[in-house]
Amino acid sequence: MTAPAPHSPALEISCTTCGALVVVEEDLRTVECPYCASPHVVERPPQAGRPDPVFVLAFTLDREAATSIVNSWIKSRGPFVKSGLKEGVLERTRGVYLPSYLYGARAHANYTAKIGEDYTVTVTYTTTDSKGRTVTRTRTETRTEWRDLAGRYECYVTDTLVTASKGIGNAELESVEPFDLRALRRYSPDLLAGWIAEEPSLAADECRRTAQSEMRESIGQDLAAFMPGDSSSNIRANVTFSEEVSHLVLLPVWVFALRYGEDEDPIRIVINGQNGQVGGRLPLSWAKIGGTVLFSLLALAAIFVIAGLLS
Amino acid sequence: MSEVTCNRCESPLEAGDLRCAVCGDVPEQLVPQVVGTGLEQTVLRCGQCGAATRYDARSESVRCSFCSGELKPEELTDPVEQTEAYLPFTVDRDGARSALRSWLGNLGFFRPSDLKSAARIEDLRPLWWAGWVFDAHARVSWTADSNAGAGSSDWAPHSGQTDMVFDDVLISASRGLSDEEAYALSASYSLGSALPELEAPPADATLEAFDVQRSQARERITHGIRRAAASRLQEGHIPGSRFRNIHVRALLTGLDTRRMSFPTWVMAYRYEHKLFRVVISGQDAQVLMGKAPISWAKILMIVAGVIITGLALGLLAVLFA
Repeated sequence: MTAPAPHSPALEISCTTCGALVVVEEDLRTVECPYCASPHVVERPPQAGRPDPVFVLAFTLDREAATSIVNSWIKSRGPFVKSGLKEGVLERTRGVYLPSYLYGARAHANYTAKIGEDYTVTVTYTTTDSKGRTVTRTRTETRTEWRDLAGRYECYVTDTLVTASKGIGNAELESVEPFDLRALRRYSPDLLAGWIAEEPSLAADECRRTAQSEMRESIGQDLAAFMPGDSSSNIRANVTFSEEVSHLVLLPVWVFALRYGEDEDPIRIVINGQNGQVGGRLPLSWAKIGGTVLFSLLALAAIFVIAGLLS
Repeated sequence: MSEVTCNRCESPLEAGDLRCAVCGDVPEQLVPQVVGTGLEQTVLRCGQCGAATRYDARSESVRCSFCSGELKPEELTDPVEQTEAYLPFTVDRDGARSALRSWLGNLGFFRPSDLKSAARIEDLRPLWWAGWVFDAHARVSWTADSNAGAGSSDWAPHSGQTDMVFDDVLISASRGLSDEEAYALSASYSLGSALPELEAPPADATLEAFDVQRSQARERITHGIRRAAASRLQEGHIPGSRFRNIHVRALLTGLDTRRMSFPTWVMAYRYEHKLFRVVISGQDAQVLMGKAPISWAKILMIVAGVIITGLALGLLAVLFA
């Protein structure tokens, strides 16, 4: 049975500065009063399946710094990106605290693998020498002996981050990782004042499955490094987790919309609000690539034709 | 010491830790408790002028745009490591000098014959070097190649899992000593003699500080634990007598780390215009590590002797054949 995704409906508050009625959009934790610009942090009544944030990783890049990073990133893209992208306009720049689960577990793995142990042998072979005589010579060859290995492996997996937001998917979050978790702070509404903060909108079980598959992947990589021998292959592992823990963390990301054509959808660019890493890539223009390939082929053909005529 | 321990791995947490450094769990005290059941609505206000303020990314603080008052949020804690205890010297200057002399006299045949009499001690200085001492239980998962069960290759793979207890294992944080020097000295100290403060250290003494932050320290400690486990595995856990590619993963419980400073005499002696360095434990003059010159003349003599004997034997064999 899966728990339903948490949903935080829109609600109305009255601004404590000017008294106006302000609508807090659904799945948001913050709002700015449209009349007096007072930034509000709104903590909704507790709800099953929607935990409170435990940690915040605060923004260290402000809007100008983030914008200039994105602008120079766009300029540095290759020549094959779609036309107009490099002249595009950045719209709707938002600094968002993205809800995500910081996951950890004790991992147990039973593994089997083929381990390659190298050895050298001296081989005799016959060949013909410079005078055409048949001679016998020797050389050393490296061979690999494959041995079976089975074992058990246990470790703690820490620092696995998965998105809890429907808005920004896990792949998009991964593209701006890593975050420096040494800068974690306890949750405090102060750090959110004036910023957009989302409430988790994905069900905790779904996030847990994503976290487990991310942890399986990292254990797979570590197991490959853990194997002895000169080489290894066929590493199979049955990984289980126990003592799982998860805590809600708000991560700082800057979200940009790049508008570049009348009838094109704007492209979303996400950057890490802590270290400025830009995620994602710009779409390529197949027309430009095709044109370049065609042009090079034609140029080559022309050279051949000219060379043929000259000789 | 504050005795808050991690629920999951029982490691003591340190002041300012938000998460357990060993297993990543969060102590229960930190998880915010649901206080109210209703709607909480906060506008952050400047303490001086009452204006609504916001968090500023550039200064990493909350800043009032009207009166430029500033409100620092909770500081991040990643302090530089500090020594908690010093071990006293039990070997004095003269003891260190005579230990060096007797070591120089007992280095064996291939050293210069006048080494003991001609070596001049140029520098002799007390140093307290910094290191971590840890206790932990570890479930060690390992793999390695060894000669046991080898087929065509010299090596066969092995794997296993074993529980280990580490008591008072020392990991160097020293810049002044090499890892080998620190390792050689580490067994000579009696940790029970540690004092929280030094009373009047000698004027020429160097008190080494930890120059790493807590977060880096933990990486070095994890690395040190793997190394300690790997060396213990070679004493009976891995089958065979020759080993390579030892891989260790340790699942730690109850990791307790202390920061200490260890006394050592650092000496330099000169022999024929060259300086050689020696370190002597400040608590056991027998534990000493250093470099000494080799007598090339003696080595040449031996080599020449061997060659001449060989030639002579060959000649005799030819004559009698």
